[in-house]
Amino acid sequence: MSEVKVPAAAVSGRSGSRLLSRLVQQRATLFWAAVVLLVVLAALLSPLLSPHDPLKGNIREGLLGPSADHWLGTDKLGRDVLSRLLYGARVALLAGLEAVGIAALIGIPLGLLVGYLGGWPDRIAMRIVEGVMSVPFLVLAIALISVLGPGLTKSMAVVGVVYAMTLLRLTRGQALAAREELYVDGVRVAGAGDRRILFRHILPNITPPLIVQVTLMIAGAIIAEATLSFLGLGVQAGQASWGSMLSDAQASIRESFFLALPPGLAILLTVLAFNQVGDGLRDLFAREAKGGSLGVNPVHHESGSGQPPPPGLVAADPLLRVRDLTVSFPQPGAGRVTVVQGVSLDVAKGEILGLVGESGSGKSVTAMSLLGLVPDPGRVAASAVELDGRELTGLSFEELRKVRGGAIGVVFQEPIASLNPAYTVGDQVAEVLREHEGLSRAQARARVVELFEQVHIPEPDKRIRDYPHQFSGGMAQRVMIAMALACRPRLLVADEPTTALDVTVQGQVLDLLLELRAETGMSILLITHDLGVVADVADRVAVMYAGQIVEGGPTEDVFRRPAHPYTEGLLASLPRNVRRAGRLPSIPGVVPPPSAWPVGCHFADRCPYARPQCLETPVELSARGDDRATRCVRAGELTLAGVGDVPAAGEPLPPAAGRPVVKADPPLISTRIEKRP
Amino acid sequence: MKTTDPGPLLRVRNLTVTFTERRSTPWRRPGAVTAVNDIDLDIEPGGTLGLVGESGSGKSTTARAVLRLVRPSGGSIEAAGFEVGSFGRRVPIAYRRAVQAVFQDPLGSLDPTKVIGDIVAEPLGIHFGLRGRERDKRVAELLDQVGLASHHGGRYPYELSGGQRQRVNIARALAVEPKLIILDEPVSALDVSVQSQVVNLLEDVQERTGVAYLFVAHDLAVVRHASDRIAVMYRSRIVEEGPADRICERPAHPYTEALLAAVPDPDPARQRLQRERRRELRAAAPAAGPRPATGCPFAARCPHRMPVCAETFPGWTPVPDGGRVACHLFGGEGTARPSDTHPDYQETSR
Repeated sequence: MSEVKVPAAAVSGRSGSRLLSRLVQQRATLFWAAVVLLVVLAALLSPLLSPHDPLKGNIREGLLGPSADHWLGTDKLGRDVLSRLLYGARVALLAGLEAVGIAALIGIPLGLLVGYLGGWPDRIAMRIVEGVMSVPFLVLAIALISVLGPGLTKSMAVVGVVYAMTLLRLTRGQALAAREELYVDGVRVAGAGDRRILFRHILPNITPPLIVQVTLMIAGAIIAEATLSFLGLGVQAGQASWGSMLSDAQASIRESFFLALPPGLAILLTVLAFNQVGDGLRDLFAREAKGGSLGVNPVHHESGSGQPPPPGLVAADPLLRVRDLTVSFPQPGAGRVTVVQGVSLDVAKGEILGLVGESGSGKSVTAMSLLGLVPDPGRVAASAVELDGRELTGLSFEELRKVRGGAIGVVFQEPIASLNPAYTVGDQVAEVLREHEGLSRAQARARVVELFEQVHIPEPDKRIRDYPHQFSGGMAQRVMIAMALACRPRLLVADEPTTALDVTVQGQVLDLLLELRAETGMSILLITHDLGVVADVADRVAVMYAGQIVEGGPTEDVFRRPAHPYTEGLLASLPRNVRRAGRLPSIPGVVPPPSAWPVGCHFADRCPYARPQCLETPVELSARGDDRATRCVRAGELTLAGVGDVPAAGEPLPPAAGRPVVKADPPLISTRIEKRP
Repeated sequence: MKTTDPGPLLRVRNLTVTFTERRSTPWRRPGAVTAVNDIDLDIEPGGTLGLVGESGSGKSTTARAVLRLVRPSGGSIEAAGFEVGSFGRRVPIAYRRAVQAVFQDPLGSLDPTKVIGDIVAEPLGIHFGLRGRERDKRVAELLDQVGLASHHGGRYPYELSGGQRQRVNIARALAVEPKLIILDEPVSALDVSVQSQVVNLLEDVQERTGVAYLFVAHDLAVVRHASDRIAVMYRSRIVEEGPADRICERPAHPYTEALLAAVPDPDPARQRLQRERRRELRAAAPAAGPRPATGCPFAARCPHRMPVCAETFPGWTPVPDGGRVACHLFGGEGTARPSDTHPDYQETSR
């Protein structure tokens, strides 16, 4: 499924502070991090905190219960359990750090190297890793320790080597993926050598998963230490370790069951804390990588201005009627940011309306919000969304889903990504039919073949058994169109349907849309950034800029004589297949993020005709003639240049092509022409 | 390694790049895909060659072969005095100084963990050993050259807009004062209003520094504006080559003609003519099937195909007004008579 982008402003901010602010929201992770901190403090300050010597005790005071002097009582030899517990924390952490440190020192550099180099070093390293990891970890550790002799340092070194295999495999996989990234090509072309690429570029980029793994490994190593010490393979007799304490407790379990509780709980809590912190970090980094995805968000009803939109955006016999559509997203520290502001438009029966704009204009969000497909924190409201006379605002998502499946068909930009790779295309289209039309298996199959014929997929009865990856981009888009047509929709919403396709294929898909419109009489809401596509197929056009419709009207009129400076700039900067004269005209600057939209005209800071009055108050859409609308305070005084120099019948010639004509004062920037030497 | 023969800055001869496919089953021999098949290219110092084609045509692979990011399986590439075929695993640092690149994905080609200033400074450290204040001064100069402010140096790539990111990529490429920059779809990920800003910037840079460009793109209209000459690629082969205006006004190869007919025009009147042309061309041609092993790769889609087209790949025929075409329609007649169906493309842009 295609993704609706959350506006950049909603997620901007420094990556560090962003991570931190998100961490604050993860209360549980913070709590467990505090537990980890507590254990670390206990280990560091154990000589200060311990009320007694952990190694010496009075055997006559053995197996005492908790008391004021011995908070957790004493063990069989009369040693203070609390003191041993605190010193045990030190042993547990040191053992964990030793094992994980060795694992990181061996596993990460080797993993980086073999992942990056590939080939035979990779194959040899991976066979060794697989060999080591196929033996149960504890069995291996015990075997090695029995050769090396017991002792905490030695046994944790063995644990470290075994862990290094896990880390090696993880790092290798990450490096393997990272070396295919384009930025690696970028720095390689910049002249960076292998070492620089590995340690300066790949390593920082794969650090997050490594941090998670290392945190989880510390927990594992603490358990390993306790296990080995319990078995007498870790710390030497007498030394305080949670494992050896458990072992002592087991020896005197008949006399005092309480002894097992403090070390047992200490292990449980510490390991749980490290695991929770690791999982929390994983969630944190994972959310970092994930953008907004399709959500479920019905359209709320809100009374609007009540003012009818100007001509150019309304139709006499509308199939779709949208009034005062607003979409907003919460923004950290800035309340809500409105990314679509009061959009009103009609799509007439049998009409193709082109909704055109650049990225960040809100065109896709507008269309997706009508279908209830806006990412979750977003809020959609409108005074009216009517489809064929039926009011859609206030419907629950379930009701909206029925409408969407039946009366509205949707086609997305990435046809192959929009299909499920695990099912044949025939099954996927049939599923829609069985779900919405209640057809039987055989009926659905026959109808799919019919649909494939309708969208001109050659040999339809054979191709329905193919999987998505067996289709080219153009053919996959035909499948998507067939799926959208399955329930004979009245309205087809096509979101950049040809953007991902080759230009020769694009023409064929557009021809198909025109043909289907003629056959079925459906209306099409075509969202695109390509003015050429709009010129090709759209009857009317609505131009969006920074969340607002800035101009609307019949395509040919708008493109010949635009009434908004943004439309003029877009048309002029579009590269066309004509002989060039000097520099390409362009619009200076960039589309501002939603949080930076001014009160007045959103386009003012990029507009060559801007005057102080443009920024003062919000600019409303106004009528121009009887079938046009524009959102420009100077609309009456500007004469803007459009495409073409052949006037339509009965119309005066537009101003000299190429030069915007301004009454009163000359243009400032943008479309000026310079001769190249 | 250095050649003494003066001549074009980039000279590609009979370049072939073959990729081995993954084995579908262990006992089957892996198949091979020829991404680039026996192509020639020349770029003069300070010139721009547009390399245009659809996805899968091999144009990006060609660019990556020149950058030595993929290893050619045949032919020769001479660039800026280096014989690229003689390089081993390590590419000489001097070659990286002479030949730079800007890629299609402006965000993906920047290391997300580094700030802009460090990204642009990296080649300065590698190639010139610049450090400290001297390096910062040069970074500020480079950012200024591409129209960015010095405060952008402290930002991360994701904090910039698409156009700004591409400017950073251009600044990094310019840092080493290269002789040739490979532009692999440099504007196709950008908004229309920003595309022309970047094309203009590239031209300013060329005027000031005399750098040459290999401009790889799928959009013929953009390529026409940016290039002196154009080479048209289709399914691993170059099928036509010549001066940009000639290619776009009087295409000789049927594929170039189809490509031109598919370029959408915002002028609805002209677009209606385009659509007519598009339908005429397609009416005669079925959809493309699998790539044929021999013959002309366009034969399956070509409205003028003849039996010979399936058998051999045509040789080159010169075209009047410059360039040459590889098509059996023109074979044996001495010179090709290009199509004259595009008089309106001689109209001048505004």
